[in-house]
Amino acid sequence: MSELTSNLLPATNEDTCGPYFPIYFADPALEDLTRFDPGVVGQAAGTPIILRGRVLDRHGDLANGALLEFWQANAKGVYRTPATEGEDDVDPWFHGYGRLRTASGAYGYRTILPGAAPGRAPNITLTIFSDGINRIVTQIFFEGQTGNDTDPVLLSVGAEAPKLIAKHDGRTAGGCEVYLFDVVMAGPGETPFFDDLES
Amino acid sequence: MGKHGRVLGIGPTDNTSDQRTPRQPLRLIPEVARSSFVPVVPARYVTNPHEWDMTRTAPDRPRADGVPIEVTGRVCTASGRPVPNALLEIWSANLYGRYRHIEDHSGLRLDENHLGMGRVLTDDEGRYRFWAISPGAYLARPDIGRWRPKHIHMSISGGASRMITQMYFPDEPNNASDPMAILMGDAFERNIGKPRDPGGTDVEEGYDFDIVIGGRNATFFE
Ligand SMILES: [Fe+2]
Repeated sequence: MSELTSNLLPATNEDTCGPYFPIYFADPALEDLTRFDPGVVGQAAGTPIILRGRVLDRHGDLANGALLEFWQANAKGVYRTPATEGEDDVDPWFHGYGRLRTASGAYGYRTILPGAAPGRAPNITLTIFSDGINRIVTQIFFEGQTGNDTDPVLLSVGAEAPKLIAKHDGRTAGGCEVYLFDVVMAGPGETPFFDDLES
Repeated sequence: MGKHGRVLGIGPTDNTSDQRTPRQPLRLIPEVARSSFVPVVPARYVTNPHEWDMTRTAPDRPRADGVPIEVTGRVCTASGRPVPNALLEIWSANLYGRYRHIEDHSGLRLDENHLGMGRVLTDDEGRYRFWAISPGAYLARPDIGRWRPKHIHMSISGGASRMITQMYFPDEPNNASDPMAILMGDAFERNIGKPRDPGGTDVEEGYDFDIVIGGRNATFFE
């Protein structure tokens, strides 16, 4: 990483997650953002969805042991950040951050369909940690959303935009709309990834 | 900066790195979309009171085999702002190089007194502390005799600061051949714990490991 701005401290290097991120650190509340503990009343606003897919390597094999992190706006398109603290449209029952470790490389993540932030199509930021790499980051969009044609991130990848759009699989499961999104980490069909550390 | 972002390096002799490292240069984030790429992890106080001491599986159990160490440090952003209430998730191999993980099929020796997993929170100044067993190195590529040098994995999440890294140990013979250390080049030095006197605590070695979270995300809301 370039450190031309010399008044910044030199950053600790990121490193690979390795294959053994402890399953013990799993948090069910982060694997399903619509979930509440038994006996607790509360409900994130919005349309529940399941995002399903596979994380694939350069040879088309499943990337086992990957750690996936998700970040999104609430149903009204508002992110819960220091910048939106106290705003009326922050959903008290939805923080927008999810995480799961996939043992096999296939995943299923339950959340709500994000709303559109100003000037954007609904999307979920996906960060992948795994053995062999430092983090890689992309954004997932949803088939059929009106803002997709004008979204700056989708436009920025040109003809590769379809690689970032999750497809509705034509059915619901457990009251959730099901979307399918595969990630290709490397090689033919590689998913576009973004430089979130420097750009 | 040119028209694209970083080109990610592939760790030499690391098969998984070859299989999983994107080959295309990273794309630049359009400025209007920049803020959407900053995950803000909600405060997560998910640790048990005894987990800071990874030299035992529980307070009333004996010490695991090996040298007990204390690791302390401060988590801050590249601009020097401390990251308080950050969750550190820590995992490491036992003295024999084995993880107590269901997917570790190395066959190396398990230690009934070693879990190798713990979580601690940083305080208001971003400081943290934990005890661990100085981990064993393990043979990562038996075919070419390449070892992973001893290391402790750490995952840090606090607000817009997010990092997964490893702390290495000074003067270890396998440091120089580690694929990720090779990619880090001279900056590898930052990922080595600094030995210090453990003082009066019930451990044999002490290490300081300050963690600086770099990149635009960590300083986005400052
Ligand atoms: Fe490791």
